[in-house]
Amino acid sequence: MKITNLKNILFKSTRLILASTLTSAALVWSSASFAGGTEYDLRVDGLACPFCAYGIEKKFTKTKGVESVEVDLKNGLVIVKTDESKTFKEEELKTIVHDAGFTMKSMTEKAR
Amino acid sequence: MAAPITFNTALPVAKEEFLFRQQFINMQSGDDPSGAQRDRSENMSATTLAYGINNRLALFGVLPYRDIDLSMDMGSGKVSRSNSGLGDISVFARYIFQQNNQAGRTLRLAAFAGLKAPTGEDEASDSIGTLPPPLQLGSGSWDAFGGLVVTRQTLDYQLDAQLSYRINNEANHFEAGNVLRLDASLQKRIWPRELGSGVPGFVYAVLELNATSQEKNALNGTNDNNSGGTRILLAPGLQYVTRRWIAETSVQFPVSQNLNGTALELDTIARAGIRFNF
Repeated sequence: MKITNLKNILFKSTRLILASTLTSAALVWSSASFAGGTEYDLRVDGLACPFCAYGIEKKFTKTKGVESVEVDLKNGLVIVKTDESKTFKEEELKTIVHDAGFTMKSMTEKAR
Repeated sequence: MAAPITFNTALPVAKEEFLFRQQFINMQSGDDPSGAQRDRSENMSATTLAYGINNRLALFGVLPYRDIDLSMDMGSGKVSRSNSGLGDISVFARYIFQQNNQAGRTLRLAAFAGLKAPTGEDEASDSIGTLPPPLQLGSGSWDAFGGLVVTRQTLDYQLDAQLSYRINNEANHFEAGNVLRLDASLQKRIWPRELGSGVPGFVYAVLELNATSQEKNALNGTNDNNSGGTRILLAPGLQYVTRRWIAETSVQFPVSQNLNGTALELDTIARAGIRFNF
């Protein structure tokens, strides 16, 4: 009787440890896959050469919370990725683009 | 924007950003109709710094370092004279009063105005005596200039043109003639032929035209009939444009020189330089 109880306790403990380990692993995987933050895809008018691209990149990278800026000249696209501490309002994005000498025509945003 | 090689007024400057341009320039003038076999050469290092006050107003400063040689036949043989040092600094402001951005293209119209300050030595002498004005590093005068500049840029090409006028003032009994200038620059992307994604470096083939009309100089209030006139130069060149910096070179050749009297004609102006923003 005592041996059976001990086996049950050991079995339950093992299941509990296994479940905890799997839950922790899932949480770690989840946080690695979804870094938080936002991606802003901006349609920018007036971008016509590499030197211009750097001007707009620099304006965004000066902003705290911006992780990366990519420019696609051919399509007039500026992709700004932020961490979870930073969100942009549309007017703020327009101002930054305007200060760099360009015009923001539209934007889309999505969670990363 | 790639911007012209032979003039500064179209340089792109963003709000609260600096732009630096360094050019090395060699000017040769040796076609002397006077028979004195004058031969003038000048090597110049021109440093330009610009700052964007806001996205429309920018301030510019241009400081040259000049090294000038002039040789001529004095009858008893050829005499060479030279001078070197900092020249006159020019400062000017540019205001973009019209800007129209569209997908992959932009149009900008701006006005500029500035002053040339007499920071260069203007009464230098050598063992022969006081150097003539073409050998002085500065004019000694405060001179004003202003004009209009237009820029049209697409992903394939850029066209810039400026019209400017410079009022030269008297110093040391000498007054250089006022100058009317028309400059134009076409930059055509030749590489990459097809644009891919991202931001590739661009190579531009450049062709610039510089037309100047200068009034006669005056010495002690009397016009010098061997000075002033009109000159048209053509300048083929190349630019390599990256995100951070631009390397550029061009050579200006005279296609027409209609100068007064025995004014010394220009042979070539060669330029090489680099530009970056920070």
